[in-house]
Amino acid sequence: MNLKHEILLIEDERNICNFITTTLRTQDYKVTSAGSAANGLSLAASGCPDLILLDLGLPDMDGIDVIRNIREWSNLPIIVISARTQEKEKVEALDAGADDYITKPFGTSELMARIRTALRRSTLNGTLAAPAGIRYEAKDLVIDYDRHIVTVNGAIVHFTQIEYKILTFLARNAGKVITYDTLITHVWGPFADSNNRILRVNMANIRRKMELNPADPQYIFTEIGIGYRMIDNENS
Amino acid sequence: MSTSIKNCIVTFSGLAVATLVAFLFSHFVPENAGNLSLIYIFALITIVRFTDGYLPGMVASVIAVICVNYLFTYPYFELNFTLSGYPVTFLCMFGVTLLTSTMTANMKEQARTIAEKDKLLSETEKEKMRANLLRAVSHDLRTPLTGIIGASSSYLENSALLPEEEKIAIITHIHEDANWLLNMVENLLAVTRIHDRSSSVRKTDESVEEIVSAAIMRLKKRLPEAAVNVAVPDELLIIPMDAILIEQVLINLLENAIVHSQSREPILCYVDADSTDVTFHVKDYGIGIDPDRLENIFDGNSYIGNKESDSNKGMGIGLSICKTILTAHGGTINAKNHARGAEFYFTLPKEGGTQ
Repeated sequence: MNLKHEILLIEDERNICNFITTTLRTQDYKVTSAGSAANGLSLAASGCPDLILLDLGLPDMDGIDVIRNIREWSNLPIIVISARTQEKEKVEALDAGADDYITKPFGTSELMARIRTALRRSTLNGTLAAPAGIRYEAKDLVIDYDRHIVTVNGAIVHFTQIEYKILTFLARNAGKVITYDTLITHVWGPFADSNNRILRVNMANIRRKMELNPADPQYIFTEIGIGYRMIDNENS
Repeated sequence: MSTSIKNCIVTFSGLAVATLVAFLFSHFVPENAGNLSLIYIFALITIVRFTDGYLPGMVASVIAVICVNYLFTYPYFELNFTLSGYPVTFLCMFGVTLLTSTMTANMKEQARTIAEKDKLLSETEKEKMRANLLRAVSHDLRTPLTGIIGASSSYLENSALLPEEEKIAIITHIHEDANWLLNMVENLLAVTRIHDRSSSVRKTDESVEEIVSAAIMRLKKRLPEAAVNVAVPDELLIIPMDAILIEQVLINLLENAIVHSQSREPILCYVDADSTDVTFHVKDYGIGIDPDRLENIFDGNSYIGNKESDSNKGMGIGLSICKTILTAHGGTINAKNHARGAEFYFTLPKEGGTQ
């Protein structure tokens, strides 16, 4: 890849803006930055960036509205930057169409990892539906979508229908946070009770079947108050 | 104005009901007229209880005496005060009313003063807590800030003279102090989630193992070399709590254990449950806790006047915040020494109002 990815950063705090810009440039990304939502939206439309980093606390517009606005005409990946205690805001942003979020304050390595995942996912989607026989692989876990077989360390693990549905949905969206509501809607349908107790029970079962220690998981991580994130697919 | 209207309504409706009951009573059981006075006395006491001041009771008792005399004693529908023993009835009723109204007035007055005292007490208590917290915060914030300002200014002023490794040491120092500050701010933010007035929290059903794993993950992000062994029961535990706050408690305890135990042996974090409660344990294998500090380690000011206060930054606040969080959850938190180190453990009730 000799083509530099272009990233649009929408952030009103000058110091943070400078630090992110510097880091991204050293990592060989091309960065444009906007200090307000209005400015950011026009840059997004005119510049066609590959990815948007969006701070939710902008002075001129609600960050959620910025996401909705962009989603009206584009599918380009959006990573939201937000503070830790505002789970509600994060869930709203994800449900409005953001691809991922990163919690302030973050280290450079974390930011880079999120950007790489988001960019990879967007190129995968760009090449039209991933080939049918694609497998999910991470550490000792392999999911063979075609044959409906899940193995850990080579040994087959048996899941119920629901558990398999949850697992494959997370695996197909590996690296990305899936909110409780999205997961429930996908598995139980749009009219399911939004009480996520049943999801928790299923998740506990899944973890007991494939994790060595359910309290120290290797594959599926909990984002408290938001949802689940499965470890990146190494097979893509 | 409105109280006197209320008094009138209560008084007259009370008397009306009593009269009605007495009327029915005398209609069906005509031979036992003695009970009629009792019905009126009952009505009088009720009226006194639900009105303010002495006047309604007095007026009611006069009316009641007249009613009994006029309606229910021979000759009916005539006033006759010459009846034998009548003054006694009158005096008794009047006396009972006077006595009860004095008593209820006293009672109400006492209840009010007690409530006021309670409010005052809890307010001073809160004020004290707030002042303690503020004092601890400013003390604890100053230390890392001094480090950051000092290190960065020495870098800015002498950057041409400093050798490369010293520059890195200075920046590392700044980085550490800044991270420590962040930790503190997150703790303070956590406290703002506790409602000021009711000092309660918004609970949702959460899975215990998910909270534990999330806490460990965040800890490892901050301290990558942290060694923790985790264990949760095989049974899935779902209990009501504010997940962010309980995660914060776990992180505080784990970080304390790592920073203060002065031992490299892995920390043990495990959960057990009985029929009513779930208990989280954080056990280290280090130097243990000074027995003198054990008693008030959660007070937040245990380090004030402590000789090693500066090397010990933040422990006081973190733990006092843990205590605040657990109290708001209706749980408890404790510390003790075991044979080879210290153990902190906290308990959450399995039930307790999910919204």
